[in-house]
Amino acid sequence: MTAVPQPKPARLPFRLDLRLAAPLIALVALFILGALVNSAFLSTGNLTNVLTRSAFIAIIAVGATFVITAGGLDLSVGAMAAFVSGVMIIAMNWLMREFGAGWGTVVLGMLVGIVVGAAAGLVNGLVITRGRIEAFIVTLGTMGIYRSLVTYLADGGTLSLNTQLRAVYRPVYYEGMLGIPWPLWVLAVVGAVGAMLLYFTRFGRYCFAIGSNEDVARYSAINIDRIKTLTYVLQGVCVAIACLIYVPRLGSASATTGLLWELEAITAVIIGGTALKGGYGRIGGSIIGAVTLALIGNIMNLSNMVSEYLNGAVQGLIIVAAVLLQRSIAARK
Amino acid sequence: MDPQAETPVLAVVGVAKSFGPVQVLHQIGLRLEAGQVHAIIGENGAGKSTLMKILSGYHHPTEGQVVLDGQPITLSGGPDGEARGIVLIHQEFNLAEHLTVEENIFLGRELTRGPFLDKARMRRMTREWLDALECRVPATARVADLSVSDKQMVEIAKATSRRLRVLIMDEPTAVLTPTEAAALFRLIDRLKAQGVAIAYISHKLDEVKAVADRVTVLRDGRLVASRAAAELSQDDMAHLMVGRELADLYPAKAPPSAEAEVVLEVAGLGVPGLVEGVSFALRRGEILGFAGLIGAGRTELVEGLVGLRPKTGRVRRRGREVALRDARDAVAERIVYLTEDRKGKGLLLDMQMAPNVTLLALDRLCPGPFLDARAETKALDRAVATFDVRAGRRDLAVRALSGGNQQKLMLAKVMEIDPEIVIFDEPTRGIDIGTKQQIYHFIAEAAAQGRACIVISSELPEVIGLCHRVAVMRAGRLAGILEGGDVNEGEIVRYATGLKTSEMKGAA
Amino acid sequence: MLRKIGLTAALATALMIGQAAAQEAKNVVMGVSIPAATHGWAGGLNFHAKRTAELLQKRYPGLKVIVKPAASATVQANDLEDLVTVQKINALVVLPFESDPLTAPVQQVKKSGAFITVVDRGLKDPTIQDVYVAGNNPELGRVSGEYIKGRLNGKGNIVVLRGIPTVIDDERVKAFEEAIKGTEIKVLDKQYANWNRDDGFKVMQDYLARFPKIDAVWAQDDDIAVGVLEALKQAKREGEMFVVGGAGMKEMIKRVMDGDKLIPVDVLYPPAMISTAMEVTALNFYAGAPVRGTYVIGAPLITKENAKEYYFPDSPF
Repeated sequence: MTAVPQPKPARLPFRLDLRLAAPLIALVALFILGALVNSAFLSTGNLTNVLTRSAFIAIIAVGATFVITAGGLDLSVGAMAAFVSGVMIIAMNWLMREFGAGWGTVVLGMLVGIVVGAAAGLVNGLVITRGRIEAFIVTLGTMGIYRSLVTYLADGGTLSLNTQLRAVYRPVYYEGMLGIPWPLWVLAVVGAVGAMLLYFTRFGRYCFAIGSNEDVARYSAINIDRIKTLTYVLQGVCVAIACLIYVPRLGSASATTGLLWELEAITAVIIGGTALKGGYGRIGGSIIGAVTLALIGNIMNLSNMVSEYLNGAVQGLIIVAAVLLQRSIAARK
Repeated sequence: MDPQAETPVLAVVGVAKSFGPVQVLHQIGLRLEAGQVHAIIGENGAGKSTLMKILSGYHHPTEGQVVLDGQPITLSGGPDGEARGIVLIHQEFNLAEHLTVEENIFLGRELTRGPFLDKARMRRMTREWLDALECRVPATARVADLSVSDKQMVEIAKATSRRLRVLIMDEPTAVLTPTEAAALFRLIDRLKAQGVAIAYISHKLDEVKAVADRVTVLRDGRLVASRAAAELSQDDMAHLMVGRELADLYPAKAPPSAEAEVVLEVAGLGVPGLVEGVSFALRRGEILGFAGLIGAGRTELVEGLVGLRPKTGRVRRRGREVALRDARDAVAERIVYLTEDRKGKGLLLDMQMAPNVTLLALDRLCPGPFLDARAETKALDRAVATFDVRAGRRDLAVRALSGGNQQKLMLAKVMEIDPEIVIFDEPTRGIDIGTKQQIYHFIAEAAAQGRACIVISSELPEVIGLCHRVAVMRAGRLAGILEGGDVNEGEIVRYATGLKTSEMKGAA
Repeated sequence: MLRKIGLTAALATALMIGQAAAQEAKNVVMGVSIPAATHGWAGGLNFHAKRTAELLQKRYPGLKVIVKPAASATVQANDLEDLVTVQKINALVVLPFESDPLTAPVQQVKKSGAFITVVDRGLKDPTIQDVYVAGNNPELGRVSGEYIKGRLNGKGNIVVLRGIPTVIDDERVKAFEEAIKGTEIKVLDKQYANWNRDDGFKVMQDYLARFPKIDAVWAQDDDIAVGVLEALKQAKREGEMFVVGGAGMKEMIKRVMDGDKLIPVDVLYPPAMISTAMEVTALNFYAGAPVRGTYVIGAPLITKENAKEYYFPDSPF
């Protein structure tokens, strides 16, 4: 009882959301570190490379933000990315026989990818909600399933897009508009739509409510199963969108495609300030988190500071330091 | 204050406490004497818990001193206080859920023989302490498996097992049945005889009257009175707490006429393993009380009714049979349920007030897929205006609100769907008397507007003062439905304890 | 007794003797324990293991072949136990994840009386094995180094993309560095690309951003090389350098064959070596004469001239 109102500092007319500003500050710190390590870091070419590279994880992290905000977890995204890429390549190669090596084939193949991604997410969501099984276990299971499926489809090897189709599809990764590569445009759209869904719709509000207390949500007449399933479908669609820009990069998929992407996506979401236990999510933060991760890898490649044997240790240290910095800033709120 | 010849065991002198710019205690002086029960009463937010935490070492006073045996001391925290014989029993339990009763009681000071635990001796001593409390729980039971009241007993046994000089109890009977409470009072008498000084916080003024030697009243962080219990009537205490007359604690009863429409009929309702064969009817404008001992199945019954638990039996809404498979079905039938578990099931504690108020009615307030910030603000305006929700700022997390304000917020939340049937479960638990009065009036007003209300309460005066009819449950069954002159404490207790039953056939 | 035979020769011999002994229906269980298909080369390994298993079972009616891909050294050790106790194998063909940790588990299998064939990586104790079909990792590094040294006339800037941190990778890199020692070839940097196309792409992008002048890339593996080539194409720096991969992926051999300036050579490290090992092991039981010894599979340089011999368009790798 006797709830004492917590003392609050006087309000500024405009208040910065420190939970969002914190990951940005960590990102700026990394930029400074990068610039100090190597002057090539700040070149337009390098920055474009890194940002474009981070687009896959960032797009997947947008989906993961929904799942985690609603109190779930999806470990299958990396395997799902490999599976969706594989199916897309097979579908495009097959469609080419009917429709030739043109944009029609590519667009149809993309649609197949989106449908497969949504279906894979739906499987996760339904097993979790209908089966009443922990998301961790279900998606650990589907992670193995999706990964083996792609290995099976590829006969243990690599699935490659037909060379002619490749030439048609390739610009989707390598070219752009107004000097900005297409993957970044796609990321911008996915981020904007994601933010709109999470902050300005009933669906988003219900995600917050379910993640912060599932009982309260149930007692408040929210259709928990439907909302949770939708978050996994959304995650699947995001994975598929990431695949749309991943496939044209190397034109192939194998059992190694998307390896450990699930961990990178979850890490990006957490760096971005979303609570791993659910109930609080930040789309912009997740995107910043993904960029942060890509930057760390880039800085490691650009420097000779440590032996390549210690790269992993330095990356781990920087991630922990970034989250620490972020949390200590957020705590000052 | 009376002049005291003896040195008090524990006292505070001129204590003030601030959290940042907010001062929650002003110049408090309090003496806990050996062998005395000192009750501390006050509304929510009056500063009782803060004062208790200062006494037991969990908080440091901003000004003033804590004095033990005439010597000023500075306690470095709860364990330090406990080492000096000052024990606080929290409202939230301090037990390790997965350990057994005896392991909890000896946690951190296990008895050993050589390198091994002396389990036999610990078990024997635990048994003795539990027996002193008339508590039948086995010493080897896992705490997680105990009922809430048994956990409280274990907590008290743990406190009494130490070299106890000052025992501070914060609402100890809130979760106890009357029988268990009686056992607790006998224990308090024994501790008094042993010279233990007891500080006793409670909202239940009858209890305070019965158990306390001395009563101190706090209001808004200030001490307004400290007198011998014999000098104060319960009414006096209530007046001192709220600072105004509370003549009309309960609003005037206005039972519906016999012709009023039956809006809900329940026939043979059961919740597997918990409730069986309950039938009753509810009329427009009626307030139906549900009394009974803790564990009689009242909460389970209504949760089954609104679809939050699996149920058997039939429910008719205005004569039409309805399924009510989950809370959504209930809302569609305009039936809402205010849970007794405000913090666990009622409110999103880390979110702000507006999203909480609109959560249930979000699809009505924002019919499209998008949220409507203006509609949500308006809903919060309505909540504040209609239900007198008081908060310093609107963007506070609901966690920071007092219990009373949280309860009002929950009330505002369910009223947003304009329900026809409202089910209140322990609507005033842990709430001060002023807010209680407000909530009684809200309930009466809802009934006057033609809504049908069900009120589950473990406080008999509340059920008697507020409800038109009272259903009494015992061991998962409906023992009887009382109306008119039969609605009195004696009858309810007779039904609740099984001295009396009536064969219920259909609706009463 | 040490015999050096070429891969194709071994296959041919095996086939001939095998057919001769086909009538004999002796019951033999052969366990094959190999790393799972976590990268292209291992994918090829799995493909060949499974295909050879089917082939051998058809040829020798009494033979049962069990192929167990393992995701880690620990899993592989567990698999070995299962093969002995559950499947009661008479022969084991094992490509150990790591030499040291798997020596004792293989020794246990040996104690059960099974015939042991070790492939690619040697065990700590060579007395355990009956047959050793050895890959030659240092040779791959040496051949690559020698080629780059010759091609650059002992002078220039190169970058190195390493594999997954393992003994194999270490052996290759050490031998490579040994080969270019004493020249004016400067290794600008070496980073792990995990025998993976995506990582090859990323690491190469960063090398290109960092180093304005690169004369050659040692990608060590053809999967990595695929990513490297894509990064070069993006940066439009294909004319500046050449890339040396490894393993013998059919697409790469095709490019060598076609005289691609970017991919002048490839170094063979055939995943089909598992087939050789399985064939030889089967012969021990069905050919009538015991088979013993070490077969070393070289790491020949594939050039435009000889590429035709190594190009199999139907292979998955």
